[in-house]
Amino acid sequence: MAFLEIINVMKDFGGLVANNNISFMIEQGEIIGLIGPNGAGKTTLFNCIVGYHKPSSGKIIFKGKDITGFKPFQTNVEGIGRTFQIMKVTAGMTVLENVMVGAFCRIDDRHTSRKEASQILDFLGIASVKDYYLNELPIASQRKVGLARALATKPELLMLDEVASGLNQRETEEIVGLLRRINKEEKVTLFLIEHIMEMVMSVSQRVIVLDAGEKIAEGLPGEIVKNPEVIKAYLGEKYAKGH
Amino acid sequence: MEKIKEALDFSDFSKAEKIGFIIFSIFLLIFPWIGAGSFVKAVMIQFLLFSLFGMGWNTIGGYGGQVELGKAQYVGIGAYTVALMMLWWKVPFWVSMPIGALIAIGYSFIIGYPLFRLKGHYFAIATICTSLVLQDIFTNWKLVGAAKGVELPIHDHPDFLYMQFKSDTYYYYFIMALFYIAVFYMNWFRKSKLGYQLRMIKDDEDAAESLGIDIRWCKIKAYSIASAFVAVGGGFMAVYNLYIDPQSVMDLDLSIKIALMAMLGGAASLWGPIIGAAFLVPLDRFLGSWLGGHKGLIGLDFMIYAMMIMIVSAYQPRGIWGIIEQFRKKR
Repeated sequence: MAFLEIINVMKDFGGLVANNNISFMIEQGEIIGLIGPNGAGKTTLFNCIVGYHKPSSGKIIFKGKDITGFKPFQTNVEGIGRTFQIMKVTAGMTVLENVMVGAFCRIDDRHTSRKEASQILDFLGIASVKDYYLNELPIASQRKVGLARALATKPELLMLDEVASGLNQRETEEIVGLLRRINKEEKVTLFLIEHIMEMVMSVSQRVIVLDAGEKIAEGLPGEIVKNPEVIKAYLGEKYAKGH
Repeated sequence: MEKIKEALDFSDFSKAEKIGFIIFSIFLLIFPWIGAGSFVKAVMIQFLLFSLFGMGWNTIGGYGGQVELGKAQYVGIGAYTVALMMLWWKVPFWVSMPIGALIAIGYSFIIGYPLFRLKGHYFAIATICTSLVLQDIFTNWKLVGAAKGVELPIHDHPDFLYMQFKSDTYYYYFIMALFYIAVFYMNWFRKSKLGYQLRMIKDDEDAAESLGIDIRWCKIKAYSIASAFVAVGGGFMAVYNLYIDPQSVMDLDLSIKIALMAMLGGAASLWGPIIGAAFLVPLDRFLGSWLGGHKGLIGLDFMIYAMMIMIVSAYQPRGIWGIIEQFRKKR
């Protein structure tokens, strides 16, 4: 039994087909990258899995359970966490409180959730900013807070929407290191959308490529970079032929 | 037990706040004995009542960030339940007040379920509408006195069961007790799971949903808590005024006052609604009686009232309490 199974998922927004007949499987413990040019339907697919969109047709099976059409909070209860590409940064809650809210999905007690949240902040190395508000932090720390509060819900599958966008080289490397640790130490399966090729190729064990709503390739990072279909999608016909 | 401990735990407040609260409490306790006139006493009762309303509104409107402008319908439900049960079946206040709160909770679930499909301004408009509809129903419903309202049967001698006293002092202590229950409840609420979840919903609904929070259910829960608070206050209004009509307990004016006091004082803070009520209730009453009597000055009180709200909301959207905190941070 596959951990996460996507079967013929189709999503159209009144004529515009954002995802067309996409199928693939993810095994527990993997790190999977999802790439594709702008508008390929990556985020739509994410939203279909997490529950912000309901697929027009097709099925999503998580740990043997059909979760098609579940609401986001329900998929979270099933064990799927996610981070956002663009986080709303407000002065409403401190970093610690943000992460506590994540922990509150399993815990009723304030003191226990505070303890768990502090542990997660320690794990991600942002315990020093726990009393700051989100809008007072640099973008790299904001991303880590997003990661921390998703981790606080103790997901088995963590879906990351462009965690490294807008970060510099050093910060990206730091995030990659963290992701590897999350995968290894916390036994969380990672599924990430990424634009930065270097990062996605170095961190993922398997890569899925979308273009114009269709899955055009799937395989090891080494194979993907040589795949003519992928090169065509990214660089155009001319380069694909020249290869 | 744990919850009571949390409710009485003010340890995360600053020393100034704690001292301020103690001095304020002592003042409240001895107030009836400092020889204030009946007008001032009435204003104090009004202040405590509106603090209670504001703290209730603060759950959904402050912590949850949903601009709710229909609280008057729950004041009405509480007031009418107490008044009608007393008139028809001679049910004591102590029985009918909790029943009123329960009816308000039930009604808030029925109304809240469809209402929370809406967001932002649409939600605010819808809350106004539901309140106006209920007011209209009561204004035309013969059985409940229609526009004439309900007069409570007056007893010859003071009666604790029916909350009829000769002196305002008794009413004062009763509403003060309710006020403290509300303060302690809110002190627990802001630290509770629901409190945190509501603040997350206010900040970022999508993120809240991804963290396993059932947004709609959370909002409905907070909405019904707010409604119960307000209905209890409404029940008190019935026995205190001995007369209610749809105009006095269900009007839009009342809904807006409740929301404005909490927002002016500082939404999503424990002290905000109390500060807001402390400013606006006396202003409303003194200006109303002072200026309202002069020919040509009618309406000036409302203008001053409006100016204050404009200034505070332009300067600091988090209200008077926000301004105080801002100054404290600077130092």
